Amino acid sequence: MLLQMNQITKTYGTLTANAKVDFTLREGEIHALVGENGAGKTTLMRMLYGMEQPTSGTIHMHDKTVAFANPTDAIRHGIGMVHQHFMLFPSFTVAENIVIGNEPHGVKFDRKKAALQVEALCATYKLPIDPLKKVADCPLGMQQRVEILKVLYQGADIIILDEPTGVLTPLEAKELLAIMKSLAAQGKSFIIITHKLHEVMEVADRITVLRDGKVTGTLDAAATNVEELSRLMVGRELAKTERSVLSPGATVLEVKGVSIAGKKGKPVLDRVSFQVKAGEIVGIAGISGNGQSELLQSISGLTTIDQGEIRLLGKDVAGRSVREIRESGLSHIPEDRYQWGAAKEGTVLENGTMGHHRTNRRYGLLQGKALRAMVDRFIQQFEIKARSQETKVKFLSGGNVQKLIVAREIAQNKPFLIAAEPTRGVDIGAMELIHDELLKKRDEQGAILLVSSELTEILKLSDRILVMYEGRIAGELPASEATEEQISLWMAGGEAHA
Amino acid sequence: MQHLLDVSLFNTMIRMVAPILLAALGGAICSRVGLFNVGLEGFVLVGAFSAIVGNHLVGNAYIAVLIAVAVTVLFSLIFAYISIHLQANVIIVGISFNFLALGLTAFCLKAIFHVKGAFYDKNMVGLPKWDIPVIKDIPVLGGIVSGHSPLIYLAFVLVFVLQYFLFKSVLGFRLLAVGENPVAAKSIGIKVNGMQYLAVLICGVLCGLAGAQLSLGQVTMFTEGMTAGRGFIALVATMLGQANPLGVMASSLLFGLMDAFSIRLQGFSLPTHFTQMLPYVVTLLAMLFFRKSSYMADAQKANGSSR
Amino acid sequence: MLKGKASISAWLQPLLAILIGLIGGAIAILLIGGSVFDTYAQMWKGAFGNFYFFTNTLTRATPLLLVGLGVSIAFRAGFFNMGSEGQMILGAFTSALIALYFPGTPLFKLLAAMLGGILVGGLWSAFAGWLDARFRMNLIITTLLLNYIASLFAGYMVAYPLKDKTGSAALAQTMMVDKSVWLPKLFPGMSIHAGFIIAIVLAVALFLFIKYSSGGYEIRMLGYNPLFAAYGGVNRGRLMLYSMFASGGFAGLAGAVEVLGMQYRYTDGMVTNPGYAWSGIMATLLSGAHPLGTAVASVLLAALQTGGMGVERNTSIPLEISSVIQSLLILFITAKFGLGLWKRRKGGNSDAASS
Repeated sequence: MLLQMNQITKTYGTLTANAKVDFTLREGEIHALVGENGAGKTTLMRMLYGMEQPTSGTIHMHDKTVAFANPTDAIRHGIGMVHQHFMLFPSFTVAENIVIGNEPHGVKFDRKKAALQVEALCATYKLPIDPLKKVADCPLGMQQRVEILKVLYQGADIIILDEPTGVLTPLEAKELLAIMKSLAAQGKSFIIITHKLHEVMEVADRITVLRDGKVTGTLDAAATNVEELSRLMVGRELAKTERSVLSPGATVLEVKGVSIAGKKGKPVLDRVSFQVKAGEIVGIAGISGNGQSELLQSISGLTTIDQGEIRLLGKDVAGRSVREIRESGLSHIPEDRYQWGAAKEGTVLENGTMGHHRTNRRYGLLQGKALRAMVDRFIQQFEIKARSQETKVKFLSGGNVQKLIVAREIAQNKPFLIAAEPTRGVDIGAMELIHDELLKKRDEQGAILLVSSELTEILKLSDRILVMYEGRIAGELPASEATEEQISLWMAGGEAHA
Repeated sequence: MQHLLDVSLFNTMIRMVAPILLAALGGAICSRVGLFNVGLEGFVLVGAFSAIVGNHLVGNAYIAVLIAVAVTVLFSLIFAYISIHLQANVIIVGISFNFLALGLTAFCLKAIFHVKGAFYDKNMVGLPKWDIPVIKDIPVLGGIVSGHSPLIYLAFVLVFVLQYFLFKSVLGFRLLAVGENPVAAKSIGIKVNGMQYLAVLICGVLCGLAGAQLSLGQVTMFTEGMTAGRGFIALVATMLGQANPLGVMASSLLFGLMDAFSIRLQGFSLPTHFTQMLPYVVTLLAMLFFRKSSYMADAQKANGSSR
Repeated sequence: MLKGKASISAWLQPLLAILIGLIGGAIAILLIGGSVFDTYAQMWKGAFGNFYFFTNTLTRATPLLLVGLGVSIAFRAGFFNMGSEGQMILGAFTSALIALYFPGTPLFKLLAAMLGGILVGGLWSAFAGWLDARFRMNLIITTLLLNYIASLFAGYMVAYPLKDKTGSAALAQTMMVDKSVWLPKLFPGMSIHAGFIIAIVLAVALFLFIKYSSGGYEIRMLGYNPLFAAYGGVNRGRLMLYSMFASGGFAGLAGAVEVLGMQYRYTDGMVTNPGYAWSGIMATLLSGAHPLGTAVASVLLAALQTGGMGVERNTSIPLEISSVIQSLLILFITAKFGLGLWKRRKGGNSDAASS
């Protein structure tokens, strides 16, 4: 056995990222590691690449126990990693990028020799590339090829690819799969981390499915299918929530044919169309990175679209300023609370005031008393644990910051609310509270667009469910008809049933 | 015009260029590792002062140069520590170091030499002028190129040394990598901090030489604040030259020419302000027209104020 | 009004830095064989010893404070405005021109001169801000460059077209402004003038604005996290231009006040030689861009200078001892800043619409 990971467990405090994971890899094999966001795939591979250490469990190569203290260790053992976000130097040439760290010749950098070495490499592995081209001028598929050649140059026999097709066009993705098969035939082994099941079926020999840090199955590709895999990946009990069946009212948000062109050919959003009516929660499911962020940013005015229409309460808001859109009726729980939703150095009061500062002022001065009372209400209602309103937000736990943000946005009392990953990183109690508030708003005829990579949440709260995949709406159905099978299939890029 | 552009104008240009060129090369190296060194002015001033002190102590101009380099390197190491290790904002550290240099040199001037404003010892011998055999007899060219202090020749030699270092050697290549994408560099095992320290050190050496040329190269004296903004001009030359040694040489020569031109105009009682303004205006225009070019964009990113 | 840790550190920071500076200065004094106690006693006397010295210190603090207030607005909003020197120069120059050549009553001329200084300083600063917003030209670099351009322009104007040709002195300066347009002195025989009152009033006003107004709130949030501000509906581009204008306006006012209250003319180098603008920036850095703290810091910095002169008069220690202390102060602040305020400029390389 080339590689064996036995009973690998990784915990961060009380959080278990991997629990007793067994993983094996044979020579010349392409082994896919699949799972949802947070399933533990990346953590497992980071341990293999020496970027993290397992809390318990052992790693063996060629039946000898090994341990990797850092990436250089792993590289020395023949393990190479192609990261999701490329580690390249755009202004350097292909050859320079490949040989960096192991440049030919001690003091003088013999670039000619490097180019020749790269050409030889390309010939050996049948991966043609122009060694003298600047990486910045290469399309993403070519850049990825540079990354692969880099690890081959460093002597990798095991190549880990982390979500490799995310930035590729369909054509480039096909080329990548072909390259993998070709290299595997030459004796290299691949571990591909992905959530795209049709690609997995096309290229993998074996598949290991992770869910919530545990292995739910290790199967031969020939013996399984996309449906089984998606069930192992996602399989949830449909949460039976008591929810009043309201008949939705007027259309509040209308998105028609929205597209955003991507760099180098792949669209970020591809003719997205849907509606959200008053008194309903529309949930967008999907693995993060399939266009959800960009969609929300377009609706809220933080980015511009290339084509299409966005209407809020009948008013055309595409391309308007954030302030105008908010005033037209939008409130927004952002998906990354620290990046967009809060100011870490600001106090609880300051953070709670955002968006309310224009409505609570007289002669340009903030009405301190009213704002403090409002934030007090937030703290009471949402049980936010903070020493005082003057405490800096950076001292609050993530869950409490999220509660503050949710409280603030719901208090805006706008007809439309975007709730993006509203309970990410939040404890059970807070989650319940936030869910209750969202349902309450819906009951009061609010229109809510919920985006979450947590399928349970989507299933629990939504009246209608959309699934996004690669910038498109891959499927849509009312909650009553939703099955995990169908949704997880769409999430993983599978085809819709008739 | 005949009296305006003559051999002695270009001779002056070469002479005035040297401190700026050396400091600008230092700024370029720092820039290449992602540290925008606004403190060049302070570094050069420290170099100028320590050169005079060194010469006073030892009586030998060459050793004084070495002393200047050593002291400036020490000064730059503190800069490096605060910027790299403590991760303080490199702009603020640079500004502080300018103040620090001004204050320390003024204080030491009084404390060591017991004078204010300037120190001049008529017995102190500065750097010699080298008459280059053969070249000095070539008409026009000889007048321009021959007869300068050794540091001036060193400055131009260093341009090519650094050009080779950055673009032909392995170490230089890795240094460029650190500035371009420190995360990627780290992932390959390149010591990012070490490279940054090295860059600042090299800058210290270069600025030490620049300072020594200032105080020992023409008139052997030290005046308070004698760098007079040259460090900032050097920074501008760095940016205009795209942190590329040859480019920096070109922009420094341009600024040196403007400087020499201004002095010549003074001789004719014509206003010098607009020729003096030229380097800055040119740089602004260059920033405008070359803003897409990767070098400016990187400076943008590193110290981005666009919010 | 201010409660909690925030207010204490605003006052504590400059004082703590001073302590470190004084210790460093003590070492320097000992190294050249002076008496630490004597030196510092003379320094205190020189800065605050009697009414004359005290008001002198306050006079010197005035331009520092005004510049510092302006810079604190920009820094709070997250912009490194390094152009205070050029803005102050243009403000001084403009106010001299208006005071000399505008028609109207003396009071009108005085007010117009100050307003003109604010306007021109503000526009010069907003110009750099516009270059950043529109062309993404790095603000630090552009403001530095504009300093030189402003200085040389004003230098040219007073060396040629607007030069004071009366009198025998061949100095590059404008004519003297008429006495009726001078900012009044506060006390007979003392150098302190109405500009100081203006500065204090503005410091308090700015403090109130930043803390209690809606605009001040947006500026603060912009500085903390620009993405958060954008998300909340703050118009980043417009706010940037306003803050840059305000920042330059303060610097311009500093220049105007120096001309109308002290020098009564614009002289080439009157701003650059004493390094007023850079000291003003230092005052802001020392206080963490807090308006009231900046007031304390400017008085402290001015005291170091007047105290230094006292030291030179009465001991063998040179007045440059204050430069040493000052530089150590700043070094302390920057090292400390490594662990806080200015490091947070990460996160969010957004291409978000800045409309």
